[in-house]
Amino acid sequence: MVVTDQDLQYFVTALKNVTKYDFTEYSDKSLKRRLLKVLTDFNLDLSGLITNIKLDNCFAEKIVKEITVNTTELFRDPPVWHLLRSRVLPRFKNNKTINIWHAGCSTGQEVYSMMILLNEMDMLDRAKIFATDINTDVLDTSKRGVYKYRFNIGYLDNFDKVIKQNPLNFEEYNEVPYEKYFDIDKLKDTITIKKFLTDKPIFRKHDLVKDGNLFFAKFDLILCRNVIIYFNYNLQNKVFELFSSNLYPKGCLLLGMHETILGPWANKFEKIGQAYVKK
Amino acid sequence: MKFTQNLNLNKRILLFIIPIVVILYAASGFTLYKFSTKRVMLVAQKEMDVLLNNLSETIQIVENQTESGFSNSDYQILKPLFNQRAYYKTDFPFLIDNSGRYLIHAFKEGQKVPSAILQQLKSTSNKQGVISYFDYKDGSKQDMFFYFKFVDQYKGYLGVSVNKDEIFESISQNKTMLIIIVIFASLIFLFAINYILKPIVSIINQVNAAVNSLASGKTTDKIDYQNNDEIGQIVNSMNNLIDSLKHKADFANEIGENHLDAEFINLGEQDLLGNSLINMRESLKLAKIEESKRKQEDETRNWATFGLAKFGDILRQNNDNLTKLADNVIQNLVSYLNANQGGLFIYNDENTENKHLELISAFAYNRKKFFEKRILLGEGLVGTCAVEKETIYLKEIPTEYIRITSGLGEAVPTSLLIVPLKLEDSIFGAIEIASFNEFKNNEIEFVEKVGESISSTLSSVKNSIRTNLLLEQSQQQREEMSAQEEEMRQNMEEMQATQEEMARKTIEMEGMTAAINEALLYCELGEDGSIYNPNNNILALLGSTRLETEGRNIVEFIHSEEKGVFQGLWSDVMNGNSSRSTMHWVNKNGIDLYIVVNISPALDDSGSIFKIYLLGQDVTESKLIELRAQKQAVELEESLLEIRVEQELNEQREDEMKALLQALDHTCLVSELEPSGLITYINNKNTEVLGSKKEEIEGKFIADLDYIAKNKPAEFKKFWDNLSSGKKQSREFSLTINDKEVWISEVYTPIINEHNQVTKIINIGFNISEIKQKEKEMSALVAELEILRKKK
Repeated sequence: MVVTDQDLQYFVTALKNVTKYDFTEYSDKSLKRRLLKVLTDFNLDLSGLITNIKLDNCFAEKIVKEITVNTTELFRDPPVWHLLRSRVLPRFKNNKTINIWHAGCSTGQEVYSMMILLNEMDMLDRAKIFATDINTDVLDTSKRGVYKYRFNIGYLDNFDKVIKQNPLNFEEYNEVPYEKYFDIDKLKDTITIKKFLTDKPIFRKHDLVKDGNLFFAKFDLILCRNVIIYFNYNLQNKVFELFSSNLYPKGCLLLGMHETILGPWANKFEKIGQAYVKK
Repeated sequence: MKFTQNLNLNKRILLFIIPIVVILYAASGFTLYKFSTKRVMLVAQKEMDVLLNNLSETIQIVENQTESGFSNSDYQILKPLFNQRAYYKTDFPFLIDNSGRYLIHAFKEGQKVPSAILQQLKSTSNKQGVISYFDYKDGSKQDMFFYFKFVDQYKGYLGVSVNKDEIFESISQNKTMLIIIVIFASLIFLFAINYILKPIVSIINQVNAAVNSLASGKTTDKIDYQNNDEIGQIVNSMNNLIDSLKHKADFANEIGENHLDAEFINLGEQDLLGNSLINMRESLKLAKIEESKRKQEDETRNWATFGLAKFGDILRQNNDNLTKLADNVIQNLVSYLNANQGGLFIYNDENTENKHLELISAFAYNRKKFFEKRILLGEGLVGTCAVEKETIYLKEIPTEYIRITSGLGEAVPTSLLIVPLKLEDSIFGAIEIASFNEFKNNEIEFVEKVGESISSTLSSVKNSIRTNLLLEQSQQQREEMSAQEEEMRQNMEEMQATQEEMARKTIEMEGMTAAINEALLYCELGEDGSIYNPNNNILALLGSTRLETEGRNIVEFIHSEEKGVFQGLWSDVMNGNSSRSTMHWVNKNGIDLYIVVNISPALDDSGSIFKIYLLGQDVTESKLIELRAQKQAVELEESLLEIRVEQELNEQREDEMKALLQALDHTCLVSELEPSGLITYINNKNTEVLGSKKEEIEGKFIADLDYIAKNKPAEFKKFWDNLSSGKKQSREFSLTINDKEVWISEVYTPIINEHNQVTKIINIGFNISEIKQKEKEMSALVAELEILRKKK
């Protein structure tokens, strides 16, 4: 089965008409693959899918959830966390409050990673954490803070690399027990984030395409990692504009490992390693 | 005959004897009667024969005397003979001829004999005899005899008819007498028989009743009969039988009540029933002994069977929970054996390095004990039992081995039983039971059997637990797999999207690089300043080839005066900052170059430099201009004084100019136009000369008002085109205003900005009709004005 441009357009239009979601400016290629995946999983053809979307709002919602990609992990890409630890977060060391927005937080591991890092840097009590995603299912997972242990053992390695070790100084080693932040139950195969962490963040459903800033606040740090790769150039620029206008001066924007700002908004930022600092 | 079988003997005898008597009497009466009848018949025959013979002889005599054959004379002679009665009232003889017609008859002559007689006569061959017939006389039927005798002489018959009744009249009187005698004799006989039979039948009935009640199993009283006759003997035997039966029944009752030693004298060796009863008693005695023995065996067997069934149930009910199962088993086993304490060990081989027996349930005095105990194989009695897979039974227990503790105190049990739980040579655990009683063999066997059942259940429980575990695991694994698969797919998607994003960026970067390459000077620098990848722009500027340039240090191209500046800049770059400066370079050919240089380090994640980019723009020309300007500035400074003086002069002149312009305004016709021809300003002098109002002209187009434009459009067009292209135009023309010819000379001056565009047109005109002579002076003045403006 092949999804053509026209198929994609039908699908996107149908979604736009029925739901409040607008995928028009998503990356075509990626969206096609997701659509193909949905068609295969539900064993439907395009017209069947569209009919169902039109008939059943819940189904449409479900499809949107299926389409979105929710990849994340604890301390994903340790070098980025090293950067945060050594060059980004220290900038806010003297702030009274630190507003952090995780845009596209997925299942929340990034949020908790950030909070663990902040806690280790004695900055957590001053931090206000906002986390948003378009998919309410993953938000629920985020709020619970319970993850599969077995196929996330890599989390602990990342934890070690970010929290326990210091790449700038190999002799440094901070013994931080996992129990400080997690309950690990190997029998039930779960890693459970401690309650003092799960209680803190404000989780909200948010669509980067149209929802703007939900929080009536400006931010010191916005993390939006591996999200804009699913957007086309136009939408990327819109999102950059949103971020740029909601960052404090000298506030930081952190994108994914392979995401960069090109085009008009590049001038508004200065780059520190992987991070963009608003001029 | 069936119904007679149900009659009693008396009636039956009567029923048979009376008819026999009656029949005998009747038969003898009948014989007697027949005999006398025959005799009467014979007497009558003889008498009739005599009569007929006498008549025949008479006829013979008569015939002899008369002519042959019957003739009248014969008739006459014979007639009187025939009219006499012989013996009876009706026996008149007669003579008939061959055809049956009466020849002579007392009163029937001429008539014929009845046809019945005639037929019999014709059919018989006898010449003499008797024929019996019926005669109907006076309407009644009469039994008649016809005696006859053939008469040769007349070829006819001599006959006589007699009524039978008349013949038997005497006999019928005897018959009545006979019947009376028969009835009377029968009655006498009946009474006689009744008298003899009645007492016999009564005794027989009594005997019968006694036998009947014996036959139906009832006892009966003895029969009272004094006579010592045959019946008396029967009654006696009967009485003996009754006695003996009563006696035996009593004895049987005694046996029945299990009094097997009751007294009994049998009637003799031949007493079949008595002997049988005695034999029965003996065998019952034997059976009783056997019974009690078997009962004991049965009890033991039942105990075991019931127990096995009970434990089977227990094992079936709880086979999903090992601890509960063990609790139930051991609790019940201890109480079933009336033991005091028991424990169930399970062989735990989950961990291959630590195989041991684990006490999972213990009971003492019906209470569950909670303590943990682990025994290695071969350790202690239980361990030994598990290794040897043999039951261990001890009657003497080491004092320290085990104590049975109750609320009242503690004691060492007297016997200890340890049974291995094994199934086909594999061990599943052991049961240990302690008791104050000794265990019987069958109890030990029972525990062993229960042990087998437990083993088999444990085996299946273990298996099912393992199976469930595996099932759960596989289920979980499947779910995990699908979750993982989804995650993988999402990862894939993310990777692909990332790749695409990067590809997009790469294309953008390539475009940008190409643009940079086209427009700017570009090269990369090593950390020591050596040049790599110079683009063509920079090569062209430096005037050297790629080979010549690559690897050379950038410092070589920098003017010696600026090397120090560059070092400062370079150290800035090495600190990770990008730096920008305009630098003086000297190319291979010694030509001075001025280049705006931007040197940016590319930093990796740890902040260290991995590449340095140089971007530059050739600004030599503008720099040279700048330099020249600087030079001029010096010169200018020198002539600043001069200029100031000039400026003062100019100011003075400007004042003069202002005055002049004012004067001009009073004397000249001035108007301003836009390049489109729109008149934006007209002075008063002009309107005065033209005789129009200011509002009528301002805001109008010259093409609509101008005299020339109206009258000579071609000339005006040329004039205006020249003006639009920036050429100053002048014209002279006359027009009539208020009947007065006025000469006007006009100069249109376009004001041109730095882009060579006409922004404004200024028209200055003169009324030459009055001041034609001042024309030259005026134009000179205008020229001077022009110069002044420029300077300003």
